[in-house]
Amino acid sequence: MIPSIAIVHVYNSHWRSLRLWIPLFLLWIPLLLLSPLIFLVILAAGVAGRISPWRAIAVFWAISCSLPGTHVQVSSQDNKVLVRIL
Amino acid sequence: MNENRRQILEMLAAEKITVEEAERLLAALEDAPAVTNGFSEAKPKVKVKYLRVLVEADETMTGMKGQTTVNVRVPMQLLRAGVRLASLIPAQAHQHLDDELSRHGIPLTLSQIKPENLEELIDHLEDLTVDVDGKEGNTTKVRVFCE
Repeated sequence: MIPSIAIVHVYNSHWRSLRLWIPLFLLWIPLLLLSPLIFLVILAAGVAGRISPWRAIAVFWAISCSLPGTHVQVSSQDNKVLVRIL
Repeated sequence: MNENRRQILEMLAAEKITVEEAERLLAALEDAPAVTNGFSEAKPKVKVKYLRVLVEADETMTGMKGQTTVNVRVPMQLLRAGVRLASLIPAQAHQHLDDELSRHGIPLTLSQIKPENLEELIDHLEDLTVDVDGKEGNTTKVRVFCE
């Protein structure tokens, strides 16, 4: 399952808190449009590093598909940062 | 020693069965799940989904006011996918990495780590639990576990 939304919540007692819902699924549109260019870059990097570009794409695809469920929260008395990927 | 094992050994001592038969029976006994009072002791292995890291650190550790907490939940799938990144390290970089690791006291040869070893490592991570508690006025706590 590809990540669809990222929630970023930053809280600081000195200024107002920031809560962002980032629609990651919208990133797929520019990514698809730029895919030929991205593929060429991966191909060049693969040739330079003697790595199969297909393997590189498979690894990055596996990483992005396994991101949903990630939760990172760091909080102290005055600050709080939360990142969740759904 | 459980009852079944005792019976097999008694039968062997009484020469009712041969050594080979006793060996086969004992091997079969070890393969079967242990049964006590009619209930199986073997628990079905629950597939864990996340690796959790919880840290509670006090002012002495962080230098920040009050207690600082860190709560990280990483999907196991992400760990599996992450270790596959190692397969993207160019062969010519392996020697440099090995040299740097050994220079820092980590005698590890990256080229000898195979994807199946990493899979095994992740599988065994499911049984891992680490609890660290601070001592002598230090209230820092670290917990690493899978859920």
